[in-house]
Amino acid sequence: MIQVENLTKRFGRHTAVSEASFGVDRGEVAGFLGPNGAGKTTTIRILAGFLPPTSGSARIAGFDVARQSLEARRHIGYLPETAPLYREMRVREYLRFRAQLKGLRGERLRHSLDEVVERCGLQNVRRAMIKTLSRGFQQRVGLADALVHSPPLLILDEPTNGLDPNQIRSIRRLIRRLGADHTILVSTHILSEAEMLCDKIVIIDDGRIRAADSPEKLIGAMRAAGRVSIDLRAPAAEVEPVLAQLPYVKRVTHDGTEPPWEQFSILVESGTDAREAIYDLCRRRDWPLRSLYRHDTTLEDVFVELTRKD
Amino acid sequence: MGNLFTLFRKEFKGFFLSPAGWVVLALVAGMQGWSLAAAMKALQTAPVPESLVYVAFHTPNFWFYFLFIFPLITMRLFAEEERSGTLETLLTAPVRTSHLVLGKYSATFAFYVVLWIPVLLQFEVFSLLTRIPAPFSYGSLFGAFLILILMGAFFIAVGCLASALTSNQLIAGVVTMGVLVIHYFLGYVTVIYGDAIGAAPVFHYLASHEHLLYFTKGLIDSRPIIYYLSMAALTLLATHHVIDHRRWTS
Repeated sequence: MIQVENLTKRFGRHTAVSEASFGVDRGEVAGFLGPNGAGKTTTIRILAGFLPPTSGSARIAGFDVARQSLEARRHIGYLPETAPLYREMRVREYLRFRAQLKGLRGERLRHSLDEVVERCGLQNVRRAMIKTLSRGFQQRVGLADALVHSPPLLILDEPTNGLDPNQIRSIRRLIRRLGADHTILVSTHILSEAEMLCDKIVIIDDGRIRAADSPEKLIGAMRAAGRVSIDLRAPAAEVEPVLAQLPYVKRVTHDGTEPPWEQFSILVESGTDAREAIYDLCRRRDWPLRSLYRHDTTLEDVFVELTRKD
Repeated sequence: MGNLFTLFRKEFKGFFLSPAGWVVLALVAGMQGWSLAAAMKALQTAPVPESLVYVAFHTPNFWFYFLFIFPLITMRLFAEEERSGTLETLLTAPVRTSHLVLGKYSATFAFYVVLWIPVLLQFEVFSLLTRIPAPFSYGSLFGAFLILILMGAFFIAVGCLASALTSNQLIAGVVTMGVLVIHYFLGYVTVIYGDAIGAAPVFHYLASHEHLLYFTKGLIDSRPIIYYLSMAALTLLATHHVIDHRRWTS
C-alpha cells in the first residue's frame, strides 16, 4: 500500500528526512514512531502529497505521490497533526463540503455522511459550529473527514495528541476498529499506544529509518534489551565496578539510595540471564540482597536503544 | 468541474456567513448612495452637461471607497487557509490547484457582482420616486457596470495573488491596497507631467479613471476590455503557480 524508497527531504541546508525506505502492506496497521523533530510529520506530509520529496520516491497504491499526486491523494484519508478545520462551519456542513471535494455525490454522499457521523460519535454535535467543540470532538471531526470517502489508506498524524485519557481511549478504540478494514499509518510518540494498536512498527530518528518490523520481532531482535533491577546493602562505590565485571552485563547505573539499601539497574544482553551470577556475587561478598528482578523487554527499551543520544 | 463548483459554493456562502461580507455590502451601498445623492443635488442646483450615471461615479469619494473593496474581500482567501492550517487539508484532498484558485476567484468575483446590485437598484429607484425619467441613458449605465466588472476582474486577481503570498491577512490587504493605489496613480502621470513624455500612451492605456470616464459616457472601448481581462488571467496564473509550487519537485 505504501512503498517508500530512498526518500530524502531537505529544507535549505537542513535534512529532515534522509534516504528513508520502508513499506506498509495492505491491511496492516503501522505505527510510525520517533522522538519529536525526528522527521515523522515531514515524511507523512510527503506521503499525503502536501510536500514534494527532494529525492527518492514514495508510492501510494502504486501511484507516485509527486508525479501522480491526484490519483495518490484519492486513496488517502489524511488527518494532519493539528486537525485543522473551518471554525465557522457546522460539523455536518463541513463534512459534506469535504465529501464533495473527494468526489461523493447524491445518495452515496448522504449515506457516507450518516455512516461517518455515527462511526465517529458525532450524532449529537452534527449541527454544532466547529469552534464551539472541545479538542477531542474536533479531532473526531478531523478523523471523520479522513474517513468519509472510505479510502483504502488512512494516514493519522499523532491522533491522540492533546486529548484527555478518556478521549485517547475512544480514539484508540476507533482506530482499532478501523484497522479491520483499512490500512493505517499512525504516527505517535506514545509507545504503549503503538504496541497496543500496531502490527508493524517503523522507527525514525534524525530523519533515518532505524527499524521497520513487527513489535514482537523488534523486541526479539533487541540485542541489549534485558534490564535487571537489584536492591542490596553495600557501599555503592564498591558495588558498581564489580557488577560491571560480570558476564553479559553491558552497563550498570546507580538508581538511588534508600538507606541503608542501594538500588541499581543493570543492562544485560538479551537472551541471557545474569541473575544467578548476581546472586552468587552477593553471597560471596556477604551483601544482603533484598530484591532481584528482571524486566521484560518492552517496545520502550527498543525505542530508547535505537534513538538515544548518549 | 464538480470540485470547482463545490469550492465556489463554500467560498461564496462564506461571504454571507461572516460579518465582513455584510460590512462591505453596506459600505458599497452606503457610499454609492451618498454619491448618488450628491450627484442629484448637483443636477438640482445647476445645469450639468453629463448624465446622472456619469456624475454619480465622478464624485470625490468613489475611488476612495472603490479601491478599498478589493483588500477587504480578497485578503482572507488564501492567507487565512495558510494560517489556520486548512490549506493542508485542501491540498491533500484530490483537488486540482487550478480548481482551488478558480473556485475562490470566481466566488469572490460573484460576490463583487452582488455588491453592485443595490447600486443598480438605486438608479432604478430614482425614476420610481421622482416620477420623472431618470436623466441618463441605459448605454451609460451599461458602460458603467461593464467597466466596474472589468476592473473588478483584474483587481480581485491582484488580491488573490497577494493573499496567496502570505499567511497574514493584514499584509495581504496592505499589499493589495498598495498595488491598486499605485496602479491608479499611474493613470495620473499624464495629468501631472503632460502628454509630452515618451511613455504617455502607455499611461493613458493603464488609466483606470479615464476608462471609467469613457465607459460612464456610454463609450465602450475594446482596449480596456482586453487589458483588464488579460491582466486578470495573467495574475491568476501567477496565483496558481504560487500555490502549486509547494508541490514542485526540484
